[in-house]
Amino acid sequence: MTKHCCGPGYASPAEAMKAPREKLLYTIAIYTGTGIQKPDYLATIDNDPDSPTYSQVISRCEVPGIGDELHHMGWNACSSCFDDASMSRKYLLVPGVRSSNIHIIDCATDPRNPTLFKVIEGAEIKAKTNLSAPHTIHCLGSEIIISMLGDAKGNAPGGYLHLDKDFNIVGRWENSMGGIKFGYDFWYQPRHNVMVSSEWAAPNTFMPGFDLEEVGHLKYGREIHFWDFAKKEPMKTMYLGEDGLIPLEVRFHHNPDSSHGFVGAALSANIIHWWKDAAGEWQWEKIIDVENEPHPEWPIPVPGVISVILLSMDDKYLYFCNWLHGDIRQYDISDPHKPVFTGQVWLGGLLGKAPEVNGVKVTGGPQMIQLSLDGKRLYVTTSLFSTWDNQFYPEIRTNGGCMLQIDCDTENGGMKINPDFVVDFGKEPNGPSRCHETRYPGGDCTSDIWI
Amino acid sequence: MMRTVTIANRDNATFQVDHRKPLLDSLRANGVDLPYGCKYGGCITCAAKLTAGEVHQGAQVALNNRQISHGYVILCVARPMSDITLEIGVESHDKLYRNPFLDPLEPHELKPDIATPKDI
Repeated sequence: MTKHCCGPGYASPAEAMKAPREKLLYTIAIYTGTGIQKPDYLATIDNDPDSPTYSQVISRCEVPGIGDELHHMGWNACSSCFDDASMSRKYLLVPGVRSSNIHIIDCATDPRNPTLFKVIEGAEIKAKTNLSAPHTIHCLGSEIIISMLGDAKGNAPGGYLHLDKDFNIVGRWENSMGGIKFGYDFWYQPRHNVMVSSEWAAPNTFMPGFDLEEVGHLKYGREIHFWDFAKKEPMKTMYLGEDGLIPLEVRFHHNPDSSHGFVGAALSANIIHWWKDAAGEWQWEKIIDVENEPHPEWPIPVPGVISVILLSMDDKYLYFCNWLHGDIRQYDISDPHKPVFTGQVWLGGLLGKAPEVNGVKVTGGPQMIQLSLDGKRLYVTTSLFSTWDNQFYPEIRTNGGCMLQIDCDTENGGMKINPDFVVDFGKEPNGPSRCHETRYPGGDCTSDIWI
Repeated sequence: MMRTVTIANRDNATFQVDHRKPLLDSLRANGVDLPYGCKYGGCITCAAKLTAGEVHQGAQVALNNRQISHGYVILCVARPMSDITLEIGVESHDKLYRNPFLDPLEPHELKPDIATPKDI
């Protein structure tokens, strides 16, 4: 069993993999953009196969406002403060991208029924830091930083909001944004004194929806940035160009000694790999290129649109979703320069390969994913962002999103859809909602960083 | 000055509003339930369709010129210049969203800051 020293999380990725199986899942669900005038909420899902409420939403923690657009979320503490007995993984920080309100939800007092603990008002964040549109949350030891994609008026590049462990606003985390044009995701690897950040677009550009022409007008990102983590300023930018249009999720190896990391370029549908070479220089290469697919009714082939990537805790497998194609892929990245395609499943998507799964019509495509610590269960949801959903999958308004479980073969590679688990958010009590990022009480494969 | 706002898809309900205040604030103060997000004209959540009259919405940065030509207005920053008629809520969004790969924009249909004027 996991040896608990004192603080939250695990001593190492290998220890995390031995943690007990997750029995509760938290995912956000939105009504923003659906026409239903109800608050977005954090849904708690029972995924204990021995429980009578298995595969059902068992509680809903509504936020106070309407129209926040809950999206990503993060823990107040993770394995980065494993040695700190004063810390515990108790609160999920759940921001609204549109409202900039950050909801602090207590998930530990009663894990089956999380409750709202505090709200940091978007107005306070804007007034004190001139930032808006919160996205990715990582704790750094007992501190918390959040990538904010815009200034108070929704212009790029935004910056980083710094909170203390009691959720007070400290101010801006970064000392400089350098020449960075846009923000989105970030991940840090402190043993290399590095943070890598990626680029979506200004909130005023992406929030109303996706105009493809704006990519050509350089309104969307195509660079990634390497930061001097201690100095809190960017030190090197990599121009990815046409190979790296809209680079989104950033994942370093979980192994804290490794310099290897990956980012998925959504629109180019490529996986970009970076590493530090023998001379100490950061390098990058394209390692996976998803071909566009023909569509009977489209004048141009459909790009995959890689909306998320994720690494297993042992850094052996890379998973990603092609939200428009409708597939999730698994690659063995034991050699990160030479990925091996080992598994694929289809659900939803525009190519019509799997319109219905486990008795539920899948509207949208595979989008956010979360992997169990042992690497065997991958949870997937189907909604990307309300306005973008409305453009590509308009029927999601009436059908809602859904959550499925993919069983992953960690020995030989391979994936298959679990036939027993499906959560249909089209059947929610207040009407069809859409689910997005998922986390669980014990930490997961995108929350914990080792210092 | 007070203006009359008629909501076509709420049984033609009418409201008297101050022309200096954003329509979102005025209508919500009158009990109209409206979706909204950023409150600075950038996120499109509160878009409504103007079917008669004029508004001033110089602060909006969410709409492209095609959406503007379809009559969309951003209620959190739009102010009435005359008596107006609106369709509100998601029911009015039939032409707000389009698949960008299937239905591209012409250069003059982009957002105002990057659009190329159309030759007449």
